[in-house]
Amino acid sequence: MSFIEQFPIVFDALNVGFIQTLKLFLITLVGALPLGLVISFGSMSKFKPLSAVVKTLVWVIRGTPLMLQLLVIYYLPGLVFHNNIWGSGEEGRFIASVTAFIINYACYFSEIYRGGIQAVPRGQQEAGQVLGLTKSQIFFKITLLQMVKNVLPPMSNEIITLVKDTSLARIIALQEIIWAGQAFMKGSQGIAGEIWPLFFTGLYYLVFSGVLTIVLGKLEKKLSYFRT
Amino acid sequence: MKMKKILAVIMAVLMIAVCFAGCGEDKEKTDMEYVKEKGKLVVGITDFEPMDYEDKDGNWIGFDADMAKAFAKYLGVEVEFVEINWDNKIMELDGKNIDCVWNGMTLTDEVKAGMDCSKPYCNNAQVIVVPADKADQYKTAADCKELTFAVEAGSAGKDQAVANELKYTEVLDQATALSEVAAGTCDAAIIDSLMAGAMIGEGTGYANLTYTASLNSEEYGVGFRKGSDLVAEFNMFFDAEVANGNVQKVAETYGVQEALIK
Repeated sequence: MSFIEQFPIVFDALNVGFIQTLKLFLITLVGALPLGLVISFGSMSKFKPLSAVVKTLVWVIRGTPLMLQLLVIYYLPGLVFHNNIWGSGEEGRFIASVTAFIINYACYFSEIYRGGIQAVPRGQQEAGQVLGLTKSQIFFKITLLQMVKNVLPPMSNEIITLVKDTSLARIIALQEIIWAGQAFMKGSQGIAGEIWPLFFTGLYYLVFSGVLTIVLGKLEKKLSYFRT
Repeated sequence: MKMKKILAVIMAVLMIAVCFAGCGEDKEKTDMEYVKEKGKLVVGITDFEPMDYEDKDGNWIGFDADMAKAFAKYLGVEVEFVEINWDNKIMELDGKNIDCVWNGMTLTDEVKAGMDCSKPYCNNAQVIVVPADKADQYKTAADCKELTFAVEAGSAGKDQAVANELKYTEVLDQATALSEVAAGTCDAAIIDSLMAGAMIGEGTGYANLTYTASLNSEEYGVGFRKGSDLVAEFNMFFDAEVANGNVQKVAETYGVQEALIK
């Protein structure tokens, strides 16, 4: 089969894989952004047992490879508790992947948030107290926006890393774009032993992270009108 | 206030524990009852021509796939094919993500230790793959001592590389081993003869590769969970299918009739 004949078949298959990649990316982001904030509150809590538990969690998650976490989350319930909560199909693998990614990224985000919150000068909170605002009012009306501005550059970094980390989910056979590309090495839909589809997936990652870089850069510019 | 928080944390942990452990498996049920109750046989595969691969419409076909469909029909359940990561096949079985591994699986010591396997149904061999223009120099394993081989991690091919004292690098799967040779990053590879027959040579993506020496002979079987009563059921089913000529017919469709064990 010539390249011209192969291309549409490969293109379709890679698109299907890329949609999985994109879904994993977006759902992880939607889940991990707020969860990260919750975790950062936990680790900054003045209630010691809570902050100790949360800090241990962050240590474990940041201290072990995401690939291992994927394996543990997908296989452990069935192997150890004899209760496979994920099922066997593609959907269960996807939900397990999303779970692992959200927990992992929320822990990284939480540390970035913590830095962002603690970088807001203490005087700002005191000013809020003087004005008679409650704790939550101080956070949402004074601290939050300044934190968002502080954390945007490191968050952009993490978000772009996330795009590429999604490829780790293939360890539990989630059929994302790298998997789709590799299928043509083994033989799929009449195409076997072709390496170019795998390399071609790089283009998808490049374009997507390029778009993200532009969007995040614009956002950063928009927030630069006020200085902390 | 503090007590409430502690209580909340404890409750959360308990709830998670109950979630995992509470609705555990029924120990009395045999594997066959479990599969029949579920109404479907989940078959773990990888993309492996000519045993399990997708046709143009995305349906799983191949010698193993067609036999698996027949076996599911015999059990009176649906069949579901799930692509797995080959490294994790025993975990997939034990965790009940799949019910059997049926994908041209060589009965190696690792496989026999981790699963209960059916009677072998197909012969296979590990063959040496080299670039076609160098095939004359490398007729036997002894000729290949100075070459670096690519082998699939944990595969029968790797065992042969060790047994023949060849230099080797472990890679992800057999297809990757082939592309290592094609790319020149390894000098040669050791893969299944059935796969080599289907994937290399003229008219394939690896037209400039060929295979020379066979290093051993080995057998394919189907893997089930340890202690599963499906093994005996499968052996009965397969004998009957051999007797009525069905196996031969399916094998001829995919060109593997030479390798069948009758």
